[in-house]
Amino acid sequence: MKRYEFVRETTGHPMTDPTTLLPAGLRDVLPPEADHEARVLSQVMSCLSANGFERVNPPLIEFEDSLLAGTGADMGPKTFRLMDPASQRMMGVRADMTPQIARIAATRLRRSPRPLRICYTGLVLRVKGSELRPERQFSQIGAELIGNSSCRADAEIILLAAQCLRAAGIEKFSIDLNLPTLAAAVCEDLDLGSETLRDLRAAIDRKDAASVAELGGQPGQILGAMLLAAGSQARARESLAKLNLPPRAAALRNHLHDVVDLVVTADPDLPLTIDPVENRGFEYQTGVSFTIFAVGARGALGRGGQYRIGGAADEPATGFTLYMDSTMHAVPMLIEVRRIFVPFGTNRAVLTRLQSEGWTTIVGLETVDDPNAEAVRLGCGHVLLDNTVAPVPGKVAG
Amino acid sequence: MPKNDDSLVVALPNGRILNQVSALVRRAGILAEPAFEDPNARQLRFATSDSNIAVIRVRSFDVATFVAFGAADIGIAGRDVLMEFDYHEVYAPVNLGVGRCRLVVAETAELAPEDDPTKWSHVRVATKYPAIARRHFEARGVQAECIKLNGAIELAPSLGLCRRIVDLVDTGATLKANGLVEVEHIADITARLIVNRISLKTRPELIGNWIRIFRDLVEDGETLSAS
Repeated sequence: MKRYEFVRETTGHPMTDPTTLLPAGLRDVLPPEADHEARVLSQVMSCLSANGFERVNPPLIEFEDSLLAGTGADMGPKTFRLMDPASQRMMGVRADMTPQIARIAATRLRRSPRPLRICYTGLVLRVKGSELRPERQFSQIGAELIGNSSCRADAEIILLAAQCLRAAGIEKFSIDLNLPTLAAAVCEDLDLGSETLRDLRAAIDRKDAASVAELGGQPGQILGAMLLAAGSQARARESLAKLNLPPRAAALRNHLHDVVDLVVTADPDLPLTIDPVENRGFEYQTGVSFTIFAVGARGALGRGGQYRIGGAADEPATGFTLYMDSTMHAVPMLIEVRRIFVPFGTNRAVLTRLQSEGWTTIVGLETVDDPNAEAVRLGCGHVLLDNTVAPVPGKVAG
Repeated sequence: MPKNDDSLVVALPNGRILNQVSALVRRAGILAEPAFEDPNARQLRFATSDSNIAVIRVRSFDVATFVAFGAADIGIAGRDVLMEFDYHEVYAPVNLGVGRCRLVVAETAELAPEDDPTKWSHVRVATKYPAIARRHFEARGVQAECIKLNGAIELAPSLGLCRRIVDLVDTGATLKANGLVEVEHIADITARLIVNRISLKTRPELIGNWIRIFRDLVEDGETLSAS
């Protein structure tokens, strides 16, 4: 006991309550934020379900082999692992829900009619946060359209993502369209050394058009021009159309243009940018992909795009996912909840009537002398006096 | 301060390259208030001829951090700083060509003649760049024990803190004066224009235009003649 105190003093830690501190990247979400996030999740969920996406709910933990197969392969370093005492096999806590959805579609729902539309929400856990994104636990919400790789499927998912963001109350967002496999398609058939390829990749990631043009000769010219083409949808499309591309790259570009046409026709006000060779964060995407940004949020709100689900049929799929930790930074706080203080002894029927009118009722558990003061103490903007709703004196309606 | 859609915060690095950098920024059309040129000014944030643009002057390492977190929209940082932090949210679209130097491994002149770097399995180095040093040695199969210092790196070997350092070298005069010789080259360094990823994506026209302005400046070769 003595020794423990001695160590504490020399390391200079102030005496803290050991039950208060949480591990890095984990936090208690309190009122009103907890309620706020739950509402946003439910608004997005209703939007998905209204569009015919049916909810699935995979477990929080599953065997490592299935969790990290296929699209989950890149999640290995981010995944918490633990041994299952029952089966003696290694299990992982999901760090991303998308691989679970792919697994469900490829196995238990393999006979369901295509296109299969499913959605999900749940918590994910990661081994490590980053300086920019310290959260290790957050909610994910998303939708997947499985069994179709047409530009109509891509457009449906992009438009759906936009509808969900608006349903959540986010106004100033923008969707950045990318083709993560385009750079490889431009470079194929060219015998570039592995070192040149690595430098090329790094220059592309930095958006350094001059270095890209210097590095790669003829394909470097094309990739450099693609980097310069990045920007708002109309401008980028015009520049891309002028490029003379090898066949596979041209097919990718034309697919992207068809998707943009569909999206712009359906939703002309949607802020859309194109960054053709961006591939940050697209570990498993195979076609048109996108990242969602918003003014006021530090990182990407979410991302999506085309991939293959693995398994025997290895069907094409497209989908999107939102990370609630960054998304919540872009959601304006909802209109304040209307809280009313209802003094002790009020009839239960009155309570239910108030609640059906949209009030949040705070019931007194004993008689108080001054209901107005009690209302203020409990954070209520209104009070029920003689069965009449009255604003608390001196307080703005709320 | 709340930002509107047209507002722009530009982060510039104090120290070694500030003069070259501020000349470049002036040519780009960003004219900071007179206090910016005054090295004794206590002010950290400066107004410019454009009421939407503010300039901040911070330590060179902090430029990347301010831009990565979106506190500044664009900035100018050495490639050394960008390599050290490797921030996901920072693009470095333009090589400005100024502040040219090298990042190297150096060791004491007594050690160098009989030392064979291919035989290293473990090194202890003093450096401002622990992440770069660790990555560099790891790629060569060498385990690096990095002692983080914030300045006067060249002093460390002569006082027995370690025998090797990883640091920036310009002419090599400082190395020589401290009895050190360069044994490995890690990277060539120049200053880069950097931009915050979200600023670029949510305001593509405004930020894209600044990238074009700096790119044109470099392509016109004006920076070379001035440096």
